[in-house]
Amino acid sequence: MLVFFRDGFYKDLILLLVITVVIGAVFAQGIAWAIDAYFGDTLDGMIGEYGEYDVILHIREEAKEAALRELERIGNESFPGYKLNQTLTIAGQANFFFGLPEVYRNKEVLESITSYFGAVPGINGYTLMVEPSVLIRGVHPAVREGLTEQIQDLSGVRFVVKDGVNLVVVLTSDDLISQATHQIEEILENYQIVELRFPMGFEVDTQEVGEQALAVLRSQGWAQDAFYQNVTSAQYGEDLDAFLKTLVEMRDFLGSYASQVRIVPKSGVQLGVGELVVLEEDLVIEVTGVYGELVEGMIVEGAPTQSTDKIVLKGYRYLGEGERGEFVGDVEIENERYRLAYAVDESLRLLAELEELSVQASTAVDNADAVLTTFQEALMQLEVLQVQMRQLNEGITGGDSKSSGEEFLVTLLLNGLFQTLAQGVIHTGEESLDSLQHLDIEEMRKSLTGISQQISNVQEIDVAAIMEQIGFVRDTLPNLNDAEIGQSIRLINTYLGGQVIPGERVQLLVQGSKLDEKAVEVLFQEELQNPYLHTYSTSVGMVTPDARGEVFRILKEVRSIVAGLLSIIFTVIVLVLDHATIFSTLKYIQRSARTGPKTWLNRLNPLYLFGGMLGSVILTSVYYLSRSRIPYLNWSSVLFIGFVLGVMIVTWAERFSPVDSMELMAGQCLGLSNVQIMREVVVPPSRPGLLNLLNRFKQQF
Amino acid sequence: MLEICDLHKSFGKVVALDGVDLKVSKGETVVIMGPSGCGKSTLIRCINRLTEPDSGKILLCGQDVMQLEGKELQQLRRNVGFVFQQFNLIGRLTVLENVIFHLVLDGMDRAEAREKGLSVLAKVGLETAEGRRPHELSGGQQQRVGIARALVTNPEIMLWDEPTASLDPILVGEVLEVMEELVRSTATTMVIVTHEVSFARKVAERIVFMDKGRVVEEGEPREVFEHPRSEIGKLYRKLLSH
Repeated sequence: MLVFFRDGFYKDLILLLVITVVIGAVFAQGIAWAIDAYFGDTLDGMIGEYGEYDVILHIREEAKEAALRELERIGNESFPGYKLNQTLTIAGQANFFFGLPEVYRNKEVLESITSYFGAVPGINGYTLMVEPSVLIRGVHPAVREGLTEQIQDLSGVRFVVKDGVNLVVVLTSDDLISQATHQIEEILENYQIVELRFPMGFEVDTQEVGEQALAVLRSQGWAQDAFYQNVTSAQYGEDLDAFLKTLVEMRDFLGSYASQVRIVPKSGVQLGVGELVVLEEDLVIEVTGVYGELVEGMIVEGAPTQSTDKIVLKGYRYLGEGERGEFVGDVEIENERYRLAYAVDESLRLLAELEELSVQASTAVDNADAVLTTFQEALMQLEVLQVQMRQLNEGITGGDSKSSGEEFLVTLLLNGLFQTLAQGVIHTGEESLDSLQHLDIEEMRKSLTGISQQISNVQEIDVAAIMEQIGFVRDTLPNLNDAEIGQSIRLINTYLGGQVIPGERVQLLVQGSKLDEKAVEVLFQEELQNPYLHTYSTSVGMVTPDARGEVFRILKEVRSIVAGLLSIIFTVIVLVLDHATIFSTLKYIQRSARTGPKTWLNRLNPLYLFGGMLGSVILTSVYYLSRSRIPYLNWSSVLFIGFVLGVMIVTWAERFSPVDSMELMAGQCLGLSNVQIMREVVVPPSRPGLLNLLNRFKQQF
Repeated sequence: MLEICDLHKSFGKVVALDGVDLKVSKGETVVIMGPSGCGKSTLIRCINRLTEPDSGKILLCGQDVMQLEGKELQQLRRNVGFVFQQFNLIGRLTVLENVIFHLVLDGMDRAEAREKGLSVLAKVGLETAEGRRPHELSGGQQQRVGIARALVTNPEIMLWDEPTASLDPILVGEVLEVMEELVRSTATTMVIVTHEVSFARKVAERIVFMDKGRVVEEGEPREVFEHPRSEIGKLYRKLLSH
């Protein structure tokens, strides 16, 4: 077979191979580049050029018009020279790209995005996309500050922005991304979070256990230089905990708001939790608790008569579909909800009466004051009268005796009368006056003034406002009937029952050393005497490419894969169009060659080896030069694929590119050299390809 | 001129030549006859190694053909004219190009080659068809182009591999006429494989009968056809008598 190439066709073949590989690489790389450029341009149109925008603002779709106006206003007022672009709307969420002018692209502004954009209509969060940057996700709060300081000191780092649990490391140049990423990873490598998790149901004092665990680590003498710290925090899962607590509180509130149902079971009747009891008024009760003789339940169907008094009804076992079973006992229903409503109504009534009462009391005090004044004046009159009476009495008893007899008789009569009268009046009046004069009018007036003041104070109270608010409270009480409350409680219980509530956990920060989590787990289980705890090791943060960097990385990967696939396709094409002709010719020559003894070596057809090698050389070279990269395909795989392709083309060469054996034989017969046969006889009528094209420059006919 | 000794050739398990011995003198016209599959074409193709013999010896013009490789073998082939059963013309070339292209590739000036080609085409009666393509010609004409191509190098020996086998009977005559004329007008050594008994009898100086890869009888035409010794010879005699 080698003889065939020896007289000069090998040069044609080498030239063909070189040009094939170059064209193949250019073809594969070119198409891949075109795809990359197309997607890149499309991407640029959507998300701008690298570094053009700094923040993606997520806005609810329905508010995007208003948001746009507001963003323009904020941009004009706070960031003159800003860039704004509305891009894709995904799942009802519009995305606005906001580019800060260079002067505003700093830590302070980027950490205050919420204060600038928090009031944009329909805002639903934001994502920082400052470029060039390196993103560290999920930074543990215990090391956030320390990490920020360390990273800030790295060369090429412009500033570090805290973004929730992430840190965005903004760099001075995109050339530094890989270097900065490496350095940050080295810093993160220095930290480790060892987490001790206890199964659900274990209630431990996490701080205390944390300290114990630290003591265990220190006592073991592992990594003397290492720094250990208890960083147990409830930050993770806080939302879930809060939600679950809220649900529990809501369930308890609903429970107390619902009618309290107690069943007094008939002797010999056993009731279990979850059983249903139907009452006379078609109420259905579910048993929620059995405490000896006391059975509690809740209404799950129907509504009892509204009453503040205890209702007692007969209960029967519920057989379903309205069927009643045996009598199980009396059921007492007390409804605090109705009592509350009653009390509120009574309070409103009381307040209304109180207002009226204060007005009347005020009038009464005024009247009393007037009476006192009148009384005081009367008292004074009485005192004057008493004096006059006394003078009169003295006048009568010690009067002039030189008057006439008639005057004497009248005087005597009057004296007797007046004396009796005056003495009686004086005597009685003096006693009464004494007692009246002992009355402390001023004190009484003071008391009345005090009462008046208090009544005024009462009148100053805004009873109307109190009544309005009490009315509001009454109106805002859940308008739920017992059945609805019962069903809600059941639903909450179902949710709480199915909810995975994480167990307690303790987090330890290890700095300066790496602990083997499994070894530590065994140690903790022994030392803390808890075989159920498990230990997990996590990093304090994870370096990830920024969002756009990730997209570009994927695009680059796609380009490499496309180039790889195109390399394979190109190899198949050139093998079929060009080399199949050569293989067909060689096969013809082999057939007409002398046949030697059938040794096992002879059975190995060198043509297949040649074809395989040719395929390997073409594919591997094109693959390498086009910077192809297909996942899971290493170089030996590429070589193998090329070899297989070559062997396959050799096998089916005469189907792909048949050679006219008559013409070929004529060429041989006329004494043409192999290279002349190829150039003038075989290649010209072969399939159009590189071989055919290159041959035109050499062919004479 | 040509000496073949103990030539063997097999295609897989099929034995095509089983120890063939043959001698052809310079200027002699030898016709090889025999039933289909007896190895006639294989033998003639082995002479210029279009088919590689498995073993044996071929001496042509004093050269051991089996030992020749590369340029020597090509040179030998240039001195051997070969006419194929299927014409074996190059379909994309014109008649003239088919006749002269190997001369040009061998270094001859195009104009000189053209002149020579036209003269040979005139000999075979195709001087007016120089610019036509093979597919535009009849089978007889195509074969005459094939003959012209073989003649154009003035070969020392011409090998004819059943030149009329692919032609319909009407066209056979024109080819045989050309062949007869060539045999008579040139002193070229000719080895002709054919089934044309009359033609063989007319032009052959020696007839060789082959059967099952062997030479079973040879002699002058009159001798082998009138007093055949082999079964094949007897069959051909019967054919002639009919």
